[in-house]
Amino acid sequence: MTAVRAAADGLELVSARPLLEAPIDVRFHMAPGDRILVAPGDEVLPGAPLAERLRDPRLEDVAGAPSGARPGGRWTGELGPGTLGLRRRAASATGELLFEVGDRWRVVVGEHHEVLPSPVAGVVREVDPGIGVLLRANGRGIGGTAALGGATRGVLTIAGGPDWELRPGAVDVGAAGRILVVGSRVDAETLTRARAMGVRGIVVATLPGKERRDFLASEARQRASLHRGQPFGVLVLDGALRRPIASPVMAVLEAIAGLEVALVADPPALVFDEPSIAIPAPDPGWIRVRSGPLAGQEGRWGGLAGLRRFGAGTHLEAGLVRIADEPPVALPLNDLERYG
Amino acid sequence: MTSDPRAFFALDEGAATTSAAIIARLGGRWRLLASTAFPAVISTDAILELLVARLRAGDPSIADAVGAGDGAVGEWARLAVRGRPTGRLAVVAGAERAVAPFAAAATRAGWRVAPGSAERLDPLAMTTLLVDPAVDAVLVGAGEPPGADERPTLDDLAALVAAVAVRRPELPIVLAGAMGERAAQFELLGDRTGALLRAPAPGAPSSETALRSALLDLRAPADDPRRAIVQSIGTLADVLDRRVEVLEVGATGGLRAHALPGAGGDPGVVRWAIVAAAGLTGEEREDVAVDDLMAWSTMPLDRHRMRDRLRELRTVPWGDCAGDGALLRLAAARAALTRLVDATPDFGAMPAPDLVVAAGGAWAVAPGPAIALAVIDVVRRPGASQLAFDHAHLLGPLGSIEDPGERRAIVRDLIDELLAPVGSVVMPQGLHAGRPVGRVVLHAIRGTSELELTAGGIELVDLPPGETAVAEFEFRDAVRLGARGRHFAIDVAGGLGGLLVDLREVPLRLPDRHDRRREILASWQAGLWGGGDG
Repeated sequence: MTAVRAAADGLELVSARPLLEAPIDVRFHMAPGDRILVAPGDEVLPGAPLAERLRDPRLEDVAGAPSGARPGGRWTGELGPGTLGLRRRAASATGELLFEVGDRWRVVVGEHHEVLPSPVAGVVREVDPGIGVLLRANGRGIGGTAALGGATRGVLTIAGGPDWELRPGAVDVGAAGRILVVGSRVDAETLTRARAMGVRGIVVATLPGKERRDFLASEARQRASLHRGQPFGVLVLDGALRRPIASPVMAVLEAIAGLEVALVADPPALVFDEPSIAIPAPDPGWIRVRSGPLAGQEGRWGGLAGLRRFGAGTHLEAGLVRIADEPPVALPLNDLERYG
Repeated sequence: MTSDPRAFFALDEGAATTSAAIIARLGGRWRLLASTAFPAVISTDAILELLVARLRAGDPSIADAVGAGDGAVGEWARLAVRGRPTGRLAVVAGAERAVAPFAAAATRAGWRVAPGSAERLDPLAMTTLLVDPAVDAVLVGAGEPPGADERPTLDDLAALVAAVAVRRPELPIVLAGAMGERAAQFELLGDRTGALLRAPAPGAPSSETALRSALLDLRAPADDPRRAIVQSIGTLADVLDRRVEVLEVGATGGLRAHALPGAGGDPGVVRWAIVAAAGLTGEEREDVAVDDLMAWSTMPLDRHRMRDRLRELRTVPWGDCAGDGALLRLAAARAALTRLVDATPDFGAMPAPDLVVAAGGAWAVAPGPAIALAVIDVVRRPGASQLAFDHAHLLGPLGSIEDPGERRAIVRDLIDELLAPVGSVVMPQGLHAGRPVGRVVLHAIRGTSELELTAGGIELVDLPPGETAVAEFEFRDAVRLGARGRHFAIDVAGGLGGLLVDLREVPLRLPDRHDRRREILASWQAGLWGGGDG
């Protein structure tokens, strides 16, 4: 492209955000003591157990690890009386080798495990005991800016329009097993009620910091309880300040509504595996205002507007955007984004 | 640069901001012809295309003279520095007391530090800390010689870190102080790709510097923008033959460097500290970051709303830069600068520099006088200094020129264009607020002006960029201004903010109540930031 053409068009100076991402490598974090049940190259289906997470890890000092034992390896042996709970007699146990000092090993053992099921189908790429499992998910994903809660899976359901706000009273057990697309924002009370009603996850454009803190505190209490419910996840598509779901993203969500999808935390994304659904490429000239007073509005690109003076005496590179049928308005390029 | 080009691009590709400039040889010297800055997510080639197009549109004859045609973007050399995300260093030792000096050195080398000691963490918790994928390197240290509280833990600690080195073979390990004697234990592990380094314990100043340099080498390659700025600030001090201090605030961290020019055949000296928490949104503890921001904000936002704005700033550092977004950004810059100054108390004991340079993406959209106010709000040091702004973000790229002679030649050529003069600041200490304290007579080329001075505020004297003057101060009582006295004659240079006589307290004392504090900050800001009401 020549310099003159670049100046006339300038669309490449607007930050581009991928509408769909593929492939998606999903990381599941592990802690020392967790028992990984898959190996590199394994193909897994949704619901397949990836690992057993240890809920009550403790350290024990043992002798007699097999030769060639390495940190992260598994250990099976017998622990002395009183070392596991209140038992009076020696008991067999399994654990993870932590490190060797002299001729003795420190091992991580525990009694209570919980299974971590895979929320997606895919192929295991890496397994690092005590660190994590990397899985290449089949299908495509919509990226977000944050994920809260756990990885989860459910039927995607559109609960409201892109600028809607889901209220607690609107959630009932009829939504159990579903992942709800709830519009522009949601509060902590709605999230905790949704979890209690058996909803598997929420997709929302923005989540204010206060609601995030309140929900995380509730989630921590839930995790600490003896009986844990089904995994519940929240995918935040944009940020903290209210704005509607972008129309290109909403179009994809509407296209895949009714399918089973997964929410994963690392990277924060919604993953769906339905190759037959064709997602049309977004209009390259369609612009979304990402930040600033017009955040959330969308319109058509009208070209570069040069350096313009904006509020508080700032001079910023600007672009023209035609929103609805209004005359083009000059906005800072830094506040704009496009999907590609 | 090894070739002899007519023109080149200077690029500072930071974590949040890409700054680009065209530097070309005209009339036998290097000149800055154009510059701009965009969010880092924008293609560098697209930014350069825009710059070349602007140059051609602005002055076709100059564009032709330097060969700024269609192929320039592909053909011209690029003098580039590239920022990377800040790394996290786990710093562990046998005792809590022993961790602190290692952690302090790592903090000033630009690392985010995750500390841990055998005294505070059990082996399981410490292993969990070290195998966390967010940890990019491990420093395991012990005093030289180890203290009595460290000695019983060293065997277990070395074995634990060696086991982590097996689990994560890519993880660089630094054995510091007496822990270096256990290097053989790590060398036997085999199949490792991560570096194994030895470093001294930070006892004497020279050891601290050696440890910090080793940690900087581990974190940042030679083309790191902050490393390069340390080089260029030394060159700048030599070229100007003045003491120069740079205060750089970017998205991922801040740099404070103080350069003394060489004298009597001795080379110049540059002291530096790179602090990750001094980034625009660099403080990771969200509550602390919100407190820091609220302490400097002139916007009447409650804590929840401020937290949301901060979160947005972290997600999109370039978003919402105008209007009240600009005010928020400058408040965040002040908060970051405060963290930088707090992390470098030793710099405060050094003599006031002749020139203070503000640099980094945090200042990119603020008007010059607003930058001046932000700097003097935070860096409270009695004396007189000139303020300037690295407006084209050239200090990084120029500092990456390896040959000191070549670097010096280019800096000398660009000296009038490299920095935007923001103004001169005179900051006396020892005034009593609210009282008339004396007067200043400014002897400039265009005449003499006189101003009565009242303590507690900032007096502005118009002095345009490029002009110099002698400011003659006469105080009623003795004040500290470099030396202690009542009469001072100071050479001052003009700038976008003119001459700022800062008659506020040193150090600055602000009310604890947010509303009262906001009111005072806004009143100072109103005098220096036209349109700064959002």
